[in-house]
Formats: sequence, structure tokens, C-alpha cells
Amino acid sequence: MTSQFKNSINDYLEGLPEAVLTRLYQSPATCLAVFRLLPALARTLIMGMIFNPDPIAVADVDALVKPSSQRLKLETQKKLRLLHIFTETQAHIIINPTFKKNLRAALVGGDQNISFGVPCDTEDKHKVDVAFLDAHAVSQWEMILHFMVGTSIGRTPSDGVLNLLKHSGLMEPERGGLRITNAGFQFLLQDVNAQIWTLLLQYLNMSEYLQMDPVDVLNFIFMLGSLELGQDYSLSALSETQKHMLEDLRDYGIVYQRKASSRRFYPTRLATTLTSETAALRTASQSMEAATQDTISSSVAADSGFIILETNFRLYAYTESPLQIAVLNLFVNLKTRFANMVTGQINRDSVRFALSNGITAEQIITYLSVHAHPRMKGMEHVLPPTVVDQIKLWQLEMDRIRATDGYLFSEFKNFDEYKDVSTYAKELGVLLYENPGKRKFVSTLAGSQQIVEFVKRRNQKHRSSAN
Amino acid sequence: MLRSKRDASKRRFDDVNLDSDSFSDSNDSYSDDETYEKVPQTRLKIKMKEQDPGDATSGLDTKVHSTYSEIPDDYVPDSVSNIFGKHDFSYLKLKPDHAARPLWINPEDGRIILESFSPLAEQAQDFLVTIAEPISRPSHIHEYRITTYSLYAAVSVGLETSDIISVLNRLSKVPVPKSIINFIHSCTKSYGKVKLVLKHNRYFVESSQADVLQMLLKDPVIGALRLEASEQSTTGSGLVTESAPKMGDLKIPGTEKPKEEEGKDGERDGEKKADEDAEDIFSHVVGIENDDDDDLDAVHSFEIAPDSVETVKKRCQEIDYPVLEEYDFRNDHGNPDLDIDLKSSTQIRPYQEKSLSKMFGNGRARSGIIVLPCGAGKTLVGITAACTIRKSVIVLCTSSVSVMQWRQQFLQWCTIQPENVAVFTSESKEKFSGDAGLVVSTYSMVANTRNRSHDSQKMMDFLQSREWGFIILDEVHVVPAAMFRKVVTNIAAHAKLGLTATLVREDDKIDDLNFLIGPKLYEANWMDLAQKGHIANVQCAEVWCPMTSEFYQEYLKENARKRMLLYIMNPSKFQAAQFLINYHEKRGDKIIVFSDNVHALKAYALKLGKFFIFGGTPQQERMKILKNFQYNDQVNTIFLSKVGDTSIDLPEATCLIQISSHYGSRRQEAQRLGRILRAKRRNDEGFNAFFYSLVSKDTQEMYYSTKRQAFLVDQGYAFKVITHLHGMENLPDLAYASARERRELLQEVLLQNEDAATLEEGDNADSFVGRGSSNKRGSAKRTTGSLASLAGGEDMAYIETNKNRNKDLRKPSKQSAFVKKLYSGKR
Repeated sequence: MTSQFKNSINDYLEGLPEAVLTRLYQSPATCLAVFRLLPALARTLIMGMIFNPDPIAVADVDALVKPSSQRLKLETQKKLRLLHIFTETQAHIIINPTFKKNLRAALVGGDQNISFGVPCDTEDKHKVDVAFLDAHAVSQWEMILHFMVGTSIGRTPSDGVLNLLKHSGLMEPERGGLRITNAGFQFLLQDVNAQIWTLLLQYLNMSEYLQMDPVDVLNFIFMLGSLELGQDYSLSALSETQKHMLEDLRDYGIVYQRKASSRRFYPTRLATTLTSETAALRTASQSMEAATQDTISSSVAADSGFIILETNFRLYAYTESPLQIAVLNLFVNLKTRFANMVTGQINRDSVRFALSNGITAEQIITYLSVHAHPRMKGMEHVLPPTVVDQIKLWQLEMDRIRATDGYLFSEFKNFDEYKDVSTYAKELGVLLYENPGKRKFVSTLAGSQQIVEFVKRRNQKHRSSAN
Repeated sequence: MLRSKRDASKRRFDDVNLDSDSFSDSNDSYSDDETYEKVPQTRLKIKMKEQDPGDATSGLDTKVHSTYSEIPDDYVPDSVSNIFGKHDFSYLKLKPDHAARPLWINPEDGRIILESFSPLAEQAQDFLVTIAEPISRPSHIHEYRITTYSLYAAVSVGLETSDIISVLNRLSKVPVPKSIINFIHSCTKSYGKVKLVLKHNRYFVESSQADVLQMLLKDPVIGALRLEASEQSTTGSGLVTESAPKMGDLKIPGTEKPKEEEGKDGERDGEKKADEDAEDIFSHVVGIENDDDDDLDAVHSFEIAPDSVETVKKRCQEIDYPVLEEYDFRNDHGNPDLDIDLKSSTQIRPYQEKSLSKMFGNGRARSGIIVLPCGAGKTLVGITAACTIRKSVIVLCTSSVSVMQWRQQFLQWCTIQPENVAVFTSESKEKFSGDAGLVVSTYSMVANTRNRSHDSQKMMDFLQSREWGFIILDEVHVVPAAMFRKVVTNIAAHAKLGLTATLVREDDKIDDLNFLIGPKLYEANWMDLAQKGHIANVQCAEVWCPMTSEFYQEYLKENARKRMLLYIMNPSKFQAAQFLINYHEKRGDKIIVFSDNVHALKAYALKLGKFFIFGGTPQQERMKILKNFQYNDQVNTIFLSKVGDTSIDLPEATCLIQISSHYGSRRQEAQRLGRILRAKRRNDEGFNAFFYSLVSKDTQEMYYSTKRQAFLVDQGYAFKVITHLHGMENLPDLAYASARERRELLQEVLLQNEDAATLEEGDNADSFVGRGSSNKRGSAKRTTGSLASLAGGEDMAYIETNKNRNKDLRKPSKQSAFVKKLYSGKR
């Protein structure tokens, strides 16, 4: 799922005009971030070129790639062309000089630049540690998710967040409040990193609408991705747009500021893992454990799975996080809850409920297998194949009825009239259903007008012939 | 404040931690903590939500904060609590070392959830299977449930209330909820306290608690029936006191391991040691074994007259002190010993030994039920038990086929002389010659009281005139309570052993068995046995056969019974069956096809040219067909009706196809699966047996099918749904491939009267009574049918094209098979 969303930020970048991209590439941090988001082959090609003063020959690139992977090569080249990193001539590939210069700057350092943020040089009187930042990020982020699932108590996210949720179509207004949409349900099943990217992309879309400079916005997002966790950064290097953004990002839990007027900010783990592969966020329980046991490691332990799904469709989830429970509740019939575990059952009704909310069988299965308990991951099949099949079958079951808009004709005066009209409909090929016994038939919506005309003509004819 | 609250909660569960001496591996925090006091059960206060948290630690009376639902004061429901309603038990605080303990306990319904991957799981399973009913046992997480009956069973095998609670507490991640403790107390208070023992041919009512007996003696009914004791050891209260019985030197045959071997083989020794270590840890944690060695236990008893046994039993049940029956067979000198022993080559498997040790735990024979999967050797368990008791034995089973099988097994596994084995069926009525012997019969032969022939009346007199040491009741789940009462009263047996694979019924009659025979002594884990190779691995599949449109149209119009016939005779189902039979015959499998509906059974078998057996097939022909199925490689598929559900032992079968079944009967599904669990080839590398259940899509059958599978699914079996059989369309001679054939079939089916749709009255619980093989007369009944059916016109077309292959067997010459082949080839 993560890669899927990396793709969507890539897609976004690919859609930008060359001028904007060239401006973007003026920031070394952005170059590095774009570079990190690229697929492996693209990264290899770029690395081969940035320290090479001459353009590279097309033949050399071909020699680098196995003949069997030609398609991959072509795709990669196309991607890089769209990002305006590569320009291709007959014999050579030329790398965008701005990108080249600034990526080099990012890799070798030394250059005076502010694109990687400016650490504060004074000591913070209210210094906070990583554990605090993690807890802050978790609480902010989960507040948003809880609000979406409808299980929040007390706190409501800020207006900025609500606006974004509405704007992104994850929730829609309903009777003075907000209601989660199908897209919202799907959103909930994604992992945190994917969720953040989804929201940030929506933020980008919205920023254009608010006439914020997308280069500024993107630069800031990419900069956040290269900051160091636990370090405080100064606001002085930020543009006005970026300062404005900071307020919004604070609400998402991506950065921490003690108060709005503070001259410094801390990126949280949500920010620093934006462009990396590591898991973005510990689950609430993990960070709780980390906090209580005083074992703060810089690398987050891989999000170990917590779900055990049995062949008898029972599900046991080792979790105490209300959020995870709320998400499970979307497609599991939860039964009992213990301090560190919940039990439930996947059944037809619970899955149909999820399906009717727009969640697909595939999403349920992916969610279950991504979060499968290590016990399950050791097995030949992570999830019991029978359960997976059944979930898919339940979805197929929903697709058995195809709806067609139609137009019902009924209350004919006599059978002759019915017969004439229905025969006409049949000839037109617009008859969907007929019941001669009850003198009713249904035509397609498109054909209805013609039938109405026909009935009118027929009536007129009858009337004139009767006269 | 937070700290003190934690203490309070810890104290709360320490109250129930009854003795912590043997609690070695993780007990530091407990045994060092001297501050906890024991709070007597009677001081539990039932309070509604208490507001002031300061009270929590102030005094003894308020120390145990037990609002009845046990929710502590500091518990705040969070945002998702409402999803669970009353089933949010997150207030049950985890013990600090909860990760090492394998189970959770649900305070509402007594459900126990067990992590089967915990190091302690195996021991925990042994314990749980004794005190609770297994609900589901798939691969990772098992569920059990503590019920009145399961506790009854636990008590009857000698567990004490305090043992149960303290072991549960040691295994549980959360403190054992008060509600569960109360439940265990209330159930075990009266259960299993009173035993009815036959010693030196006199009946004694026995209990380890003198006050219980005093109470019974004060009862107007029981008190009057007491015989005055003559022994000197009577105490002031008039009770006889002696030391409790022990397993002592009783050996279950077949379990002795050659002693010399242990020392010789170093490697094996190490292994054993590891085993013992594990055992050690368990006994430290669980600590129940020690209680058995406690020599100080004494029992008290008073005597009653043999003819008042029934009355006392009944009365005891009424006053909620059900008696357990135990048979002190070693001290029974009145009944002659039977010369029977297991052959030296016979070895019993560990789980069989375990189940028997539950039965003979204190050196006496307890009455009860042992539940083992089909094919896991129930027969051998019965035989071994008989060899342990060594008194006259009577075995009752469901059909005359299984009577023969039991007889043959007895002769195969043990040293009993053939002249001491008698068979009592409608065909043969023998008596054994010596003083003691073995009789094998069917329930219906014994329970049937009307229309008995002279011979069988004489046989019954023989059975009723003597005292039996032991009665084995095979397939105990199928027999209704009324019949059991009859059997139990007709035959005087000291110990009763019920054997079954599936202690589930769709009605609630299972409960009756608890009191008629005794508690469930042991229940094996199917998946476990399959993994260890004792029973075959089975691939289960549910094949969805779409209803053809013509059939579905009729299906929607017809009444319920006719609908059944339509979904069974669905041409797609027929094709699927044909395809699967074809496919598996090519693989070299031996196939059994099950159909409850006799009309369909015949129609399928005739059309496909296979042998079939149903209720109306004569015994002789049945045996012949089964023999052929076993040994003739030309006969690879047989069709069986309900009569084949239980007790037909066909180790050759490796594939099973079910085309029609008894509604939502979970038991039948399990029994049928059992037919292939004992597959001979089960230990071959990568061997799988196959179980297909064919269901017509979008019909009632789908619903029943899901219900039926529930039991097996809970045992860990997984049913794969097959929506499309690849290559089915390309099968040569596929039946009903053309629309015309299908229409003809539909007409055929529609012409059948409703009786054709009824399921065969087979060995099913609801129709068991009166279907004895001696009672073949049948009564007249009125049916409605088409004129054609009255004239016999319906079947005419059928017989011409579909030859009954069963008839081939009547002429057992080789040539006939050859001629027949030619004949069918021409057709």
C-alpha cells in the first residue's frame, strides 16, 4: 500500500510543468526526497550520472540493463523524462543540470543551504524528547482517525483538519456533522504512511486552490522528510507560506510546536519517515511500552502483527488500541474484549456491512495479512485460504444483481393495447422485463420516450378511428 | 495514588491464589508479598458502582470490591467499549507476567481462550479438557467453556474445587473472575461428592465428606433404605470409614513399557528426561499431581440394598447430589473372572492410554464417556478397558455390521477364546459356554420389547439373568435417552463406558447421557491426532453446483419437501459427482458416495453403474458389496445411504463425496468424515484423503451445509469452496449434458411423489427406536401418488437403461463380470 502512495506523489510530480519542477529542484532536500521516491533502477541510473561531467550514451544505458528487463528500463526512462530529470537526444541522455547540481549538494553536503532546515542554535528551555514526540504524534493522528470512525470522546480535530477531510472526500457533511464516506473507510484500512501521504496530497490540491505556491509547499514537505527526529528547528528559514503550513501540520501531529508563537518546531516521526521505508508510527501500545520501559531506540521496531485469524473464521487480535479495535469493527463482528486482546468473528453479515461501506474484499484481506501475527506469518499461507476465498465469495455475492434504470409501463386499458405497446418495445429492443399476466413491462430509460410517443400516436389513431 | 491502586488490584487476585508453595517459576512477586490476606468467600459484598476510590484499601469489608460484575472503580470505559457491550473485560488487569501464561477467562460465560503456542499449552490443554468443554481447536487459539457438566466430569475424575481454581489461576493471564470462582464452587459443591460403589457385591454409598452422607441419611427416602452396618469400624455417626482408593498397582494392559530398554538407550533417556522436565514444570505450575499421593484421604460410606439402588440414584439426582458410579472390580469376587488379556503385540497409543487413565484413575472403574475421533481406535479403548476389568462384558452397537466388526476386533487384539464370544443379532443368537464371556449385540435387539421371537426372548432372559462387569456402549450419541433407560435397566452392569466421536446433537439430548452413563471422561483433539499420524489428513471441500435454470424455476414453485428432491437431483450436481468420481478413480482412490435420499441414491448409482447399499439392502448383499469394495480393484466406488454413516469400517476408502445429507446435522458430517480418517494409506508421504460436499447453489442446502460444517470447522478443519470444477465440461459421457436430457430428468423428478424426497430412516437418533432388524414387518401407510406410479409406469424407463449393478454380485463367477462389461460396452 505504501508504494502505491509513493506512486501517487510521483504521479503528482510528473504532472507538474517543467518550470515548476526546475524551481523545485533548486532545493537539495527536495532533490534528495524525489530521488528516494524513485524506483531502484532509476536511482541506479541517476547515481551513475550525477558525478559524470559528460552526458551518458544511450548505448551504455542499454548495456547496463539485461535484455529481459528492457520494458522496465523503458518505463523508468519515461518516468524520469516526465519528471524532467532526463532529456534524451539521439545518442545521449542528459540529466537536468539543476537536479544534478542540487542532488550532488545534498549527497556531499558542505554547501551552505537551508533546505535541510536550520537547527536552533539556542537551547530550548522546554526541551522535549523522542518519546514525547512519538506520544504527541500518535495522539494527534489517532484523534483524527477516531473522529473519522466516530469513536472519539471529547476532543475534536481542529477546523483545518475537518476542512481537509471534507475537501478530500474522506468525510461528507451530514445533518450538521460529518459522516465518513466510502473513501474514508478505505482510508482507514491503509497504513499510517499511506494515510499521511493521502492527506498531504489532498493538502497540495487544496493549497493550489488557496493560491499557495506548490513549490513552497512541496519543498517544505520534502524538507520535513529529511529532518532529524528529536532535533528542534528554527522558524527563521521558512517562508510565509511555510509558516502558515506549519500551523496545519501541527494539527496533524506531523510537527510539534509548544505554542503558536514559539520560534522553534520539532518534527515528529510522522514527518521524518515520510520518504523512508521504515514504519511511520508505532501503534499506541508500542509507544506506550517504549515510554514505560525507557527503551527508546531510534529505529522503530517493525510493526509486529497482532491479528490471528483461524480457519473457523474466528479472529483474535492482540491489541489494546481503541483505534485498531474501531478499525477491526468495520468488518469483524467483535465479541469480547480483554485487557490485551479482542476476539471476534468474521461472518457474512460483518463482511457485507464492510462491503456496503465501500470497503473491498481485497482491502480487508490486505489489512489482515499485513497485520497478521508472527504466528500466522510463519505458515505456508499467512491467512487461511478458505477464509480468504470466502471473503471474496461474499463480495461476488454482492455483484450478482445488476441494476438498470428503467421505466415501468402499467395500467393498460386492455390486453390489445398492452400487446401493441410491448411488441413495439420489443421491436425497438428496449424491453427489459414483461409480465403479460399483470399487463406490465419495463423498458430502458432511453427507450421510454419513444414508447410514450408511440402510445400517444396510437391513442390518437384510435380516437380518430372511433370518431 | 496510581501505585496504591495497582496494589489493590494485585491483592484482589492474590486472594484466590490459594497456595503458592509449588508456584515456582514466576512467583517471586507473589510469595514475597506477605501483605495479602485471604478473604473468605462469604464476605463478598455485592455492591453497585462505588464512587469513592479512597475506600479501596481502607478495610477488609470493602477490600474486595465486587460489584457483581467485578468492574473496578477506577475503570473508565473508552471510546470503543460500547462495541462490546457487556463483554468488555478490559478491566480485568493483566498479571505482570501475563506473557508466560496461556489463557484468558471470560467472566460472563465461562469461556476460556487458550494460546496453543504457549510453552505451557500442552499441559494446559490436558487440564482444560478435564474441566471444560472444548469448543474450538484450530491451529493457534483454542476455546473451551466451563459448564456444569464439564465440572461434573472434572469432579468425577477426582479433581477438587480448590485444585481447579488454583490451577486456573496459575494458567490465567488475568485473575480468575469472581463469577467463575463462584460458579465452580456452586457446581462442585454437590457434584461428584457421592459415589455409588459396588464392593464385595454389596452396594455402598460413599463420600469423602462425612457431612454429605449425614445429610443424605437425614433424607426421608434415602435414610430409610440404609442397611445397618455390621463392621466394627463404624464411627459414632454410623458411617464406615476407610482410606481412599488409589490407583495403586493397577496396570492398564498394553501400557507397560519394557523396563530394561530405558537404561540401555542413552538417547531415548535424554528424550525422556526432557519429557519429565516438562512434566515437572507443569506439576510445579499446576501442582495437582501431588494431591493424588495424599494418603490421608479417607472415605465414609453406608450400605444400601441392591434393589434400592435405582431409588437412591433417582433421589440423589432430585436433591442435586447426583451419584457417580464406580466399580471396585478388583474386590468383586462374586462375579467370575473372564480370561481376557491384550495380546502381547498389542500396543495402545498415548491418547488411548490417557483416556483410560481417566477411567481407572483410582483403581476402580468409573462410568463415563470417552470421545475420540472416528478412526482413532475407539474399539481398542473399549477392548483394553474390558481387559482391565476382566469380568463378563457386553458390547452394544448400532448395526449388525458393526456387531461383526466388534467381534472380529476382540479376537484380533486380545486373547479371549472364540467360544467365549457370543453374538446376539437377528441372525444369530448364541450364548457363551463358560461362566464369564463376551456378548456383542445391537441396541435395538436389547431395547426392543415387543414382537420378540422365541429365540431372542430366551437370549434376553440370559442377558437379564446375570450380572455384567462391564458394558460398552458404542456410538453412544445416536441412541435416544428412552432407549438407554431401557438398556440400562434391562442389563445389570457395574461399569458403563460410552464411546463416540461426536458428542453433539441438534437436540439437547446430550445432557441426558451425562446422567445415564456418566460424565465425559476424555475428549481428544482431532488436529493433534492428525498431525501425529494417528488419523488421516483430510482436504475438505464444498462444491457449489449451480442450479440449472429449469430446476431453479421449479424449485421456487414447489413445497419444501419437493424442493429437497430438486436440489439433490440437480443435473449440475450429478455432473459434479460424476466428474469427481471419474477423477478420483483415475487417481486410484476408493470412493464412498453418501446420499441420505434413497431415491437419489438409486438414481445416481444406477445411472453411473455403481454398487449401492441402503436400508433395504439385505445383510448378505451388503457384506458382499463391502467385501468387493475392499478387495476387488474393479469396484472402486460405492454409494451408501445413511446406514453407512457409523460403524462401517472401510480403511480402504480415501475419498468421500456427499450428495445429500440430513439437514444441518453436525454429527452426521463428522461421522461421515470419520469414514476416511482411518485410511490405511494415511502414513504415506503427502497422503491426503478427500471429503467433498456437493451443494446446490442458492438453495436451502447452502444454509444447511454451513451449519453442518460447524463442528468440523471448530475442530480445525477448513472447507475450501469450489465454485467451478476445471475440465468438467470436457468429460466424455458427461451425464445430462444436453438440455433435452435435463428436461427429461426434471419431468422424472417432478413425477416423483413426495415420499421420494424423504430421507431414509436410518441410524438416526430421531428414528432409531423400532428399527431393529428383527422388526421388518413395517406398517401400512397411506400415500398419494400419480396414477403412473401406481401402475408402475414410472420406473419402467429407468430400469431399462440403468442396470442395478448390485445384482452382478449375486452371481459371483468371474465370467459374469466380464460378460457384464461386454454388455455395458455395447450399450
